[in-house]
Amino acid sequence: MCLFFKIKQFFILIMLGFLSVNINAQNISEPLGGSESGKELVLQKCVQCHTDSIWRDHRQDTRAWEATLYRMMGRGAIWTQEEIKSMSGFLADNFGNQSAKLKNK
Amino acid sequence: MRDVVTRYLTNTISRRGFLDNLKLAGMTVTAAEGVLSSLSVAAQNTTSSSNSAATEVPAVKTFQGSGGACFAEQLIACGVKYVFGNSASEDAQFYDALVDRPQLNYILTPHEGPGAAMAAGYIKASQEPAVVMQAGAVGLMNAMGQVFNAYKEQTPLVIYSYRTDQSKRAGRDGFEEIANQEQVLQPLTKYSWMARGPSMIAETTRHAFKSAWTPPHGPAYLTWHSDYTDEKTRTEIIQQTHFDTRMRVRPNPIEIERAARMLLEAKMPVLIVGDEIYKAKAVAKAVKLAEMLGMPVTQMRQMWVNFPEAHPLWVGNAPAGTLASITWPKNFDLAINIGNKMQHNGIQPIVSRNVKFIDMRIDYQNMGKVMSTDVPLVGDVALGLDDLIVALEQLMNSKSKEIAIQRTLEVKKYTDRARQIFTGIVNNPEWNNSPLIADRVTWEVAQFADKDAIIVHEAGSVAMHSFNFNPVGGRELFFYYGGHLGSGVGTSAGVKLARPQQQVICLVGDGSFLFGPHALWNMARLELPVITIVYNNHAYGGPHNRAIANVPSGRMVETGQFVASYLGNPDMNMAHIANGFGVKAEVVSNAQELKQALSRAKLATMDGKPYLIDVQVVRRGVGWTDHPWTPNIKGSKQKAKKTL
Repeated sequence: MCLFFKIKQFFILIMLGFLSVNINAQNISEPLGGSESGKELVLQKCVQCHTDSIWRDHRQDTRAWEATLYRMMGRGAIWTQEEIKSMSGFLADNFGNQSAKLKNK
Repeated sequence: MRDVVTRYLTNTISRRGFLDNLKLAGMTVTAAEGVLSSLSVAAQNTTSSSNSAATEVPAVKTFQGSGGACFAEQLIACGVKYVFGNSASEDAQFYDALVDRPQLNYILTPHEGPGAAMAAGYIKASQEPAVVMQAGAVGLMNAMGQVFNAYKEQTPLVIYSYRTDQSKRAGRDGFEEIANQEQVLQPLTKYSWMARGPSMIAETTRHAFKSAWTPPHGPAYLTWHSDYTDEKTRTEIIQQTHFDTRMRVRPNPIEIERAARMLLEAKMPVLIVGDEIYKAKAVAKAVKLAEMLGMPVTQMRQMWVNFPEAHPLWVGNAPAGTLASITWPKNFDLAINIGNKMQHNGIQPIVSRNVKFIDMRIDYQNMGKVMSTDVPLVGDVALGLDDLIVALEQLMNSKSKEIAIQRTLEVKKYTDRARQIFTGIVNNPEWNNSPLIADRVTWEVAQFADKDAIIVHEAGSVAMHSFNFNPVGGRELFFYYGGHLGSGVGTSAGVKLARPQQQVICLVGDGSFLFGPHALWNMARLELPVITIVYNNHAYGGPHNRAIANVPSGRMVETGQFVASYLGNPDMNMAHIANGFGVKAEVVSNAQELKQALSRAKLATMDGKPYLIDVQVVRRGVGWTDHPWTPNIKGSKQKAKKTL
């Protein structure tokens, strides 16, 4: 059990950075959003800290994806409302309730 | 500067005079007060030596009595006020000695693990010595998890447990006996020793305290055969001031100058802060250094927040544990670490090879382990910061000062914008949900907490935000990186014992809480009014998500059978557990209820009573349903089969 939780703490470190953002000084002063697609934003920001294994199996609607992305703000992500809307739209289209649903028994 | 410090420590200059001198030397008021604060420990040591003389406590005295009484005498001479322990019949002579030594307060803890966490919490919050004791090897085994934490977190915790086997019958595999008991602790301690006779108990105790409190700090273990505690002996008792060097090392001055020059040559230096700054009470000095150069400041995972989070130069924690993972800046060409342990959890070095690296800390064993280090500065960070600041003051010219000003503006532009964006966290569409999302709970507690509250955080999967921690007179964080769970409640009790004037709030996940709620009883008995908040999602939420990330699209996901994640069916009620320990508690499910419960908690704590709030928190992650799968193992069915 101890080893298990030691490993757990290691991964917590990784989780703290879940979907952290790669924004430089220039685009902080000019927030991203309308000009970039949700896919591009996800590729730019999420892979900063993660492989896709962290969300590959997630299936949820736009609102739930939006909530997931807002949770990352508490972990240090600096994303505007527009960026979150754009990313959650893309994620819901590709990882939504209707796509390859999980079987819960 | 050194001259002024010497004059202050030898009482040839007043407090005001000391501050005036530092201001004349170019320090800000805040930085000067920080220097003064960090010197207080040394000044107190000097004063206590004088006081000792005044009250005629001899530096060395001869004492005759039982081994247990010798132990008690030496603990008092070590400056120990609290002994944390669990009942142990073989320590009877020690207990007997306590009756006539009221300056040594024994705190009975109902489980050795949380008891050790309470002792460690007290030490961390007070920076004063304490000891935790258990019954032989069996009690020690329960405490070892927290000894592991103390070792990882470099807490100077002294641990004692006797050997149940007496000296004249040891080695027969007797009751509770294990061979070489002290060796069990060897990998987790700086010092681990068995006294070879009753006359060596006091000396072994001194060695343990000296080892634990000599930087870098860490736990120390002492043991002896239980009959030595009973035997009469004659021994020396020596005052702490006469055996503990409390070593404070200054970094090499040549390396200090090299570091100063490199910092001035760097285009975008970054400052990494760490726990040695908090321990040395040197936060104001770190602020001064950052301000001199306009350096952005970050931190890898530590126990404390070591820089004011509202400061314009604070760019946030490094989210993925490497410097490269900070959001901004990305163009740094030099990093200076002041007192961070730099715990490596990944393959890549925290500071990449192409970035120049200056490393200042007393934890010399971890220096140069993974990162290539251009300038090693082994020493006490408070002294090292003093020297580095002086060196920079001598080297900086109008051009370098202008560069620092411009860089400060650049960093501030980022941090202003980042803070403005962060306020959007309340736009989460689940913000008003019931059960609550964890971020809403944290946010509500942050709105509620006193301006100088201490937050003990053992909710590992919960992000800490909105508190604006400030170790200089503001809110403080007591986090962990040892990782043996069950420390949070015990730590909170110990912190409150050490800092009775400050509000203490303990944040724990339900999983962590279940590993060690026992110190709730100590809170009730000792009137330690801690507010405990349990984020209760009835699951090991963090491990669940990480397990799935390790086996994406595997059978677990396909079937929804997450064998190691769900703690419900039946749901556990943490308020009932708290009630059982004599602590008032309630369960809440939405934000309004939480606010009202926090008000009731405040009233209870004003009356000296602890309070617990079991907050129902939503599970989030892959595959969760309202009624998660549980294994079809039912004892009643097995019984029926057997009957048939």
